[in-house]
Amino acid sequence: MGLVRKKAPQDPPEEVLPDRTSPETLLSQLDDPDADCRREAALGLANVPEAVHDLLARVGTEDDPRVLESILTTLAAHDTEEVAGSLAVHLASDEAGLRTAVAAALATMPSSVPAVLPGLLAAPDHDVRVMTAMVLADLQHPEAHAWLVRMICEDPHPNVVTGAIDALLPSATADDIPLLTDAVERFPDDPFLRFTVKSALPRLTGTP
Amino acid sequence: MVSPPAAIGLSDADFERFCEYFYKRTGIHFTSAKRYFVDKRIDACIRSSRYDTFAAWFAALRMSDHGEMLQELINQLTVNETYFLREDYQFDAMLSTVLPEVLKARGGRGRIAGPLKILSLPCSTGEEPYSIALRLLEEWDEIDHVDVEIHGADIDSDVLAKAAHASYGERSVQRVPKAWMNKYFVVVGGGRYQVDEGIRSAVTLHRVNICDTAAMRSFRDFDVIFCRNVLIYFDELSSRRAAENLYGALRPGGYLFLGHSGSMSRISPIFTPTRLPEGLVYQRPTGAK
Amino acid sequence: MTSDTATSSDTGTRARVLVVDDAATVRLYHSSLLTGAGFQVSEAANGLEAVEAALGTEFDLFVVDVNMPRMNGYACVEALRSENVGTASPVVMISTEDRPGDADRAYLAGANLYLVKPVNGDRLVRVATMLTAEVAA
Repeated sequence: MGLVRKKAPQDPPEEVLPDRTSPETLLSQLDDPDADCRREAALGLANVPEAVHDLLARVGTEDDPRVLESILTTLAAHDTEEVAGSLAVHLASDEAGLRTAVAAALATMPSSVPAVLPGLLAAPDHDVRVMTAMVLADLQHPEAHAWLVRMICEDPHPNVVTGAIDALLPSATADDIPLLTDAVERFPDDPFLRFTVKSALPRLTGTP
Repeated sequence: MVSPPAAIGLSDADFERFCEYFYKRTGIHFTSAKRYFVDKRIDACIRSSRYDTFAAWFAALRMSDHGEMLQELINQLTVNETYFLREDYQFDAMLSTVLPEVLKARGGRGRIAGPLKILSLPCSTGEEPYSIALRLLEEWDEIDHVDVEIHGADIDSDVLAKAAHASYGERSVQRVPKAWMNKYFVVVGGGRYQVDEGIRSAVTLHRVNICDTAAMRSFRDFDVIFCRNVLIYFDELSSRRAAENLYGALRPGGYLFLGHSGSMSRISPIFTPTRLPEGLVYQRPTGAK
Repeated sequence: MTSDTATSSDTGTRARVLVVDDAATVRLYHSSLLTGAGFQVSEAANGLEAVEAALGTEFDLFVVDVNMPRMNGYACVEALRSENVGTASPVVMISTEDRPGDADRAYLAGANLYLVKPVNGDRLVRVATMLTAEVAA
């Protein structure tokens, strides 16, 4: 009872032996009925390029949100056009959990998202463009500001424009004031857009 | 004597924008009460950078995802010192609520199969796992009836060597009650105090990278994990992976303590938050429907 | 139009609302509308923060956005209704999206009302006031 003592207290700190389960085994575990098993398999397939295809296939079909989270954590580390393109499709999903999880993953992929952006910005479904603004809000890319500016100036749907404005504001400067006031002119009946720009202006004009 | 240049100075709008950004990146919230402190620290960061204005510095900061600029900023804005019984209200929570719950869930003192397992990660130079050992021995009334394993893990072998040696200066032990110092520490050369062999042997140390899933697989079925004040330093993907690895290291129903500035709300939805009198703690769900 | 004073059912003090949205501007918009109508407003930037806030404070009303990262609105409401938090207070869900089945999904999660952005300010205040009005025992 009490604190369990080490057998040989003078031993140096143990180097941890990494798990050696083979990728083949882990891939087969992606279909295991137990969610924890699937979760661990998805995580264990980190840095295994051969697993990307199988993982992408499961993004749209995995029911358990924790397993989906782990699949996306593994996939997002492959910042490639293949992965970004495949994930971007799910921004159109009817499942809020799926589309927001995918948006969060895409926001961590600054190398590959630019390639899929033109398609997203031109998507006929305005909800997809709203999700695209969400991605741009967090994407660490020097052009993110410019893409948001384009959305604010050009998008025909007020919800998309307000989403883009919200994404832009943390990095906005006084130079952005004209485009914000123009947006209000474009959508004079949208109370939220008017309020947003009005409340943001003092902060923008105050910055040197 | 050359007088220092005027402080770069933050406008109210700048301060607000900065706080929003810092909160989003780290979960740490500064109010206007901390204005002076934050202003001075940011000023120091800007001066040591190649930017002349807050605007330029801030734009550069935003561009790098948890790069060096943010690391330096976090170091400037947070307390990094480690010492015995740091944030011990969380040890209070462990003793008064968490361990009793865990013991109950595992059948009680007579029927529990296997030891209670506690992990401190990162353990740094050892103050945290040794603090846990001391509090259990001195203040947990079940300690004589239940096996407890304490593990410490860190990525840095230098600090682990220090943890193994377990000798500390005055500053590190200043919160330790005198009676415990007499009982569990030996005075060694250079005004330092060494944790006695009995306590040292009660903590098993490991070298591991918290973001390495394969390596973290070695840690299983922990009832309590302390992972305090480290996740804020990680970028988005690394912190998600670290959270997943911590989840995997916990027994279902196991508890995770983050530091006072830590919140899973910035990182991952996989844990269930629970409010204790002493603050928030996270649990791996039991999976019971 | 006069603004009703929002009251909670027991004490006559101002009703407490938690506004949950990842967009700071939206939080500001809804907060100022509700504060103007006499509510005591707190904010959360995502569903997880909302759950953590609700664990520590009794809210009389939740206004929850659907599209939020890390924990979307539906999952948030489910968590609020779950045993862990167990709040019975009304929930208004707000979404930019107007897909078929979205409203049903909201009610299934435990919401009381589903509104589509942009939300008319007067409407939000009316709805919030109605949902937090005193209920006869």
